[in-house]
Amino acid sequence: MTIVFQLLFTGLGVGAIYALVALGFVLIYRATNVVNFAQGEFAMLGAFLMVIFFGDLGLPYGLGLVISLIVMAIFGAGFNLVVYYPLRHRPYLPVVISTIGASILMSNGMLALYGPAPQTLPNLLDLPGLLIGGVFLDSQYILIICVTAALVGFQYVFFEKTLLGKKLQATSQDKEMASLLGIPVATMIMITFVYSALLGGLAGMLVAPILFVSIGMGGLISLKAFAASIIGGFGDVAGAVVGGLSLGVIETFGAAYISVPYKDAFAFLVLFAFLLVRPQGIFGERVAQKA
Amino acid sequence: MRRIGNAPKFRSMLAMAGVLSLSVLAVAAAGAARADDIKIGMITPITGPAAEAGRYAQWGAGMAVDEVNAAGGVMGRKITLVIEDDQTTNPGAVTAFSKLSSQPDIPVFIGSIRSTQVHATENDVLKIGKPMFIGGTDPTLTQAGNPWFFRARPNDSYSAKVIADFGVNTLKLKKWAVINSTDAFGTNGSKALIDALKAFEIEPVLVQGYANQAPDFTPVVLAVRQSNADVIGSYFTFEQDLGIFAKQLKQLGVTAPWVGSPSITNATALRLAGPALFGTYGIADFTSDSSPEAKAFATKYLALHKVEADNQSSWTYDAVKLLARAMEDAKSTDPEPVRKAILAIHDYKGLEGTYNFDSKGDGLHGYNVVKNENGKIVFTKHVDFPG
Amino acid sequence: MTTPLLRETTARPSIGQKVPRKFPWGLLLLALAIVTIVIPVVHPFNDYWMGLLRQASTQAIAVMGMVVVLGYAGQINLAQAAFFGIGAYSLGLGTLTLGLPWGVALLLGTLLAAVAGAALGSSTLRLGGHYLAMVTISFQQILTLVLINWISLTRGPDGVSGIPRPSILGLDFKSNGDYLALCLVVLYATGYLVWRLKRTRLGRGMLAVRDNELAAGVVGIDTYRTKVIAFALSSALGGIGGGLFASGYAYISPDQFSFGESVVVLTMALLGGVQSPFGAVLGTGLLILLPEWLRFLKLIYLAVYGAAVILIMVFMPEGIWGALTERVRRMRPPPRIVEGDVPFELGGTPDTGRMAMLEVTNLCKYFGGLKALDGISMAVERGTVHALIGPNGSGKTTTLNLLSGIYRPTAGEIRLDGKQVAGLPPHLLAGAGLGRTFQNIRLFTSMTVLENVEIGGQRPNLVIPGGDAGLRHRALGALSFVGLVDRAGLPVQSLSYGHQRLVEIARALAGNPALLLLDEPAAGLNLTEKQELVELLRRIKAHGLTILLIDHDMNLVEQIADRITVLNFGRRIADGTPQEVLRHPDVIAAYLGEVTDDAAA
Repeated sequence: MTIVFQLLFTGLGVGAIYALVALGFVLIYRATNVVNFAQGEFAMLGAFLMVIFFGDLGLPYGLGLVISLIVMAIFGAGFNLVVYYPLRHRPYLPVVISTIGASILMSNGMLALYGPAPQTLPNLLDLPGLLIGGVFLDSQYILIICVTAALVGFQYVFFEKTLLGKKLQATSQDKEMASLLGIPVATMIMITFVYSALLGGLAGMLVAPILFVSIGMGGLISLKAFAASIIGGFGDVAGAVVGGLSLGVIETFGAAYISVPYKDAFAFLVLFAFLLVRPQGIFGERVAQKA
Repeated sequence: MRRIGNAPKFRSMLAMAGVLSLSVLAVAAAGAARADDIKIGMITPITGPAAEAGRYAQWGAGMAVDEVNAAGGVMGRKITLVIEDDQTTNPGAVTAFSKLSSQPDIPVFIGSIRSTQVHATENDVLKIGKPMFIGGTDPTLTQAGNPWFFRARPNDSYSAKVIADFGVNTLKLKKWAVINSTDAFGTNGSKALIDALKAFEIEPVLVQGYANQAPDFTPVVLAVRQSNADVIGSYFTFEQDLGIFAKQLKQLGVTAPWVGSPSITNATALRLAGPALFGTYGIADFTSDSSPEAKAFATKYLALHKVEADNQSSWTYDAVKLLARAMEDAKSTDPEPVRKAILAIHDYKGLEGTYNFDSKGDGLHGYNVVKNENGKIVFTKHVDFPG
Repeated sequence: MTTPLLRETTARPSIGQKVPRKFPWGLLLLALAIVTIVIPVVHPFNDYWMGLLRQASTQAIAVMGMVVVLGYAGQINLAQAAFFGIGAYSLGLGTLTLGLPWGVALLLGTLLAAVAGAALGSSTLRLGGHYLAMVTISFQQILTLVLINWISLTRGPDGVSGIPRPSILGLDFKSNGDYLALCLVVLYATGYLVWRLKRTRLGRGMLAVRDNELAAGVVGIDTYRTKVIAFALSSALGGIGGGLFASGYAYISPDQFSFGESVVVLTMALLGGVQSPFGAVLGTGLLILLPEWLRFLKLIYLAVYGAAVILIMVFMPEGIWGALTERVRRMRPPPRIVEGDVPFELGGTPDTGRMAMLEVTNLCKYFGGLKALDGISMAVERGTVHALIGPNGSGKTTTLNLLSGIYRPTAGEIRLDGKQVAGLPPHLLAGAGLGRTFQNIRLFTSMTVLENVEIGGQRPNLVIPGGDAGLRHRALGALSFVGLVDRAGLPVQSLSYGHQRLVEIARALAGNPALLLLDEPAAGLNLTEKQELVELLRRIKAHGLTILLIDHDMNLVEQIADRITVLNFGRRIADGTPQEVLRHPDVIAAYLGEVTDDAAA
């Protein structure tokens, strides 16, 4: 039984990582109807910034974190201006390719700047982890799960209870209507990108103690996070979290009880089956009603 | 779908002009090395997941080139490296090699440390018919009848034999768990280890493959714990995977001794995994304590590059030295004489051990066993299987 | 964008058209193709360049598949590397393990890829967009894992080496130069076929599905089947490319067919221009050569490559080829296709003697708990104009969507000329003789006016003699009928709103429908245009066509309707001649309550 709980905990921890990155996907998707393939690279960038400010320059953790997040925010704004904004009136595919280009640029740019060596980033909480009834709870996973929960809570309050949040929501639902209502759509999209960059960066810093900091770390997570967002019904914050967590749990148990080498297949198989059997469950009659 | 307006028209011309001028620049920049030098073509990852290892490989080769040139070069001519990026991919390796092999003034090559990439270039090397030193340790590479492959590292039939021998004979442990990456290197290593254990009449209690670059190893670690294995043998490809596995092994309370393939001893793994690897054993084709030559190299390397030397740099160093010596011995850069001269090399003391080439092109026939003592790699013993 | 110019150059001058002497682009291309094939055979050059060209040409064939599925049919496919891999492994294992002849192995790979593509497509193409993207990614990932782990079949991560090159009909392709020539021959042949495809019925159907899936169905295209075929063709092309690739390199391993490679293929297609095989070749060539040219930048070359991808997308979102053809199109005057009107036949549907062309009985449509339509019955008599009116939200458009098959009724019967048609998909309804226009115009925006109308003429069960020329003739006739024949060669988007409405009507008329459904045809038209519309509808009626019309404009309805049915809240509240209905107290009440809404609409 301890094994089941151990797997469950790990699955939730891994799932929370997917969920964190998926949140960024979902936010940008809602605001722009575009999948940002560079979202994983935001995580990579955030982790490297932390390595630079905290690891190399030796700033205190808190200060390093704040500076890294500021840089991420500026980067998110720049990303919007260069990669998305010039293409905002285009169909979604050119934009997607543009973000793919950005992800190549970011990972190889970082490679040129910092070199290929994978780096380590110490845990924020220097705790050894908890051992409860034979189940080991890694402190970093606990932290990730808590931060994910907190972010979901924050996002709920932000979008439902604040004026800015409501404006953002209106923008994501109908840009034309929003601009008729006097909401500055361009600013709202800018805010979304900045926020997503922050979110991605934070995700990178949080997973760094577990996955290490490497050029390829973004690609590692982002595909699963993308799957998580789809399972969650793209566009739904809570859905992304549920999608991420279930993905983590499914693949951990699949690996433990069926096959480790085929681990990556389980998540996709489940997704596949889900889409085949109940497409209308997610889709409904939404398409038809546009007639 | 909107139309392209007037302003973007101009800008798109600008963009095209940019692309064009870049390409012109590129063509202009190609081709700049002194005609008199003897060139050694080298394929190594400059980008992609193995880029760090590729940098070490270049450093090692570069040091050997400098030393050979300082000592008067080869047949009185200087040697230089011509390096191409394989992007850590197979097509990348093929393209990089064809770029090098299409330059007729490159007589000898250094190939990849990755077996799949050596496999990918196999056909082209055979076609061009020039010697290539390789670092890939899949035994079949030299044994499949390609006369132009020479190996500057011991192949995996030896690594598996040494792991099995050390675990069974020295540590006296019989219940083995074998963990391997499902890539070519890991699968073949694991196969060889299972065979080597069979020679001791041991059937592993667990053989577990994993897919590269996984975020989590809990199911693997739990399987090891469940199997009650008292010793772990492993073939890991990427240091990140090794680091995560090592940490989770500790966290979930597995204390069985662990004898790993060379990646467990390299600098990156030590830095990433830290204390999680303390107390583990590894086999290493390169250890600074194994010989005076290795010691001298390690000291110089650390001074130059501020990183501890490991096998990524030592094998390319040896490969350059061996190529230089063979060309000097043959008094020629022609393929066939150089090939014969390499096969004739005996008792050459390199960094990785003492080279005695067999007819297949394998120069080394054993490994060092080392122990990680609180982060320091300590030479334990050398195991050789001559013949 | 499309390349309408190329289309016109292939047109036969059958309709009294003066053809100016045009530059023989086709001959030039053919000559160029032959030269590039001959050079590597008679004068093989450096292996590095031949290797790159071989890689580019085999990959370009796979990218050509993306032109079909993404460029033509508008469906995303993120698994092209998987289909490429199926082709490559079939060739490798087919020749080595099974000992098949080279050609048979290539064919096997192509078939396997096509079958896999069709299976994947038929199971998931009902979904779209991101779901389709995810399903293809899933397939891609699973295939990679199978290639790695099913060692007994695929030889696992070691890959397959020693894959032979063919000798075909006594010709030997072992040398790099000869093999490159073979790859180029296949590339040019597939490129030509893909280019031709766009000009066939099937190809036009794909473009229509991409531009407007809903309208494509309504004008008679089996959208689902079209998409599945596009997917199968695309994956077959991937398979061919993969087979040639495997033989070219002699060694393949699972990591060469990973998700990353699929993204590269997609990037190539979009970069070059996904609308045309020329774009595919351009994009592939560029993406293979660009990193090679940039090698001198050493460490940062892939970063520069990433930046170049962004720049090209920002400044040339239709891809490089798209930008080029757009420039050419702007420089040339739009072609004039015919001088003067073309005769048009309408209303040739046989009179079955039945009074009612359309009979609706107790029709219901519920969306969850919402009863959008709750038991409507009505009959439209042959040869009449019947109007369906009602306040906003009364169920008019829902009725039309049920009649044209976009929705399936919850309950009730629909009989078209006596035949039960309730629940049929749109394209079968179109085949049964139902034509329709939309309230918010749904044209195929990337096409010319003529192409739009041609698609209307290719509905099922309508035989137009004379093949493509006959279809063209009919489309021009339909355009003459609505008075737009002089605009036939223009991109449909360049027309005014009012003219776009007329094109939509011409598109429906080209299919010679038995019953024409018009959804608010007067919306957005000015007074003159409205009067012209009334004239047009009268002319259509004079040809014996039956029309069911929805409109808010009482003036228009009064002028032409023979009979009116009024809906409110999903129920019929009145039915009769205009005079009867417009005096009906319930109707007046319903409309008075609606006045403000109506004014706003």
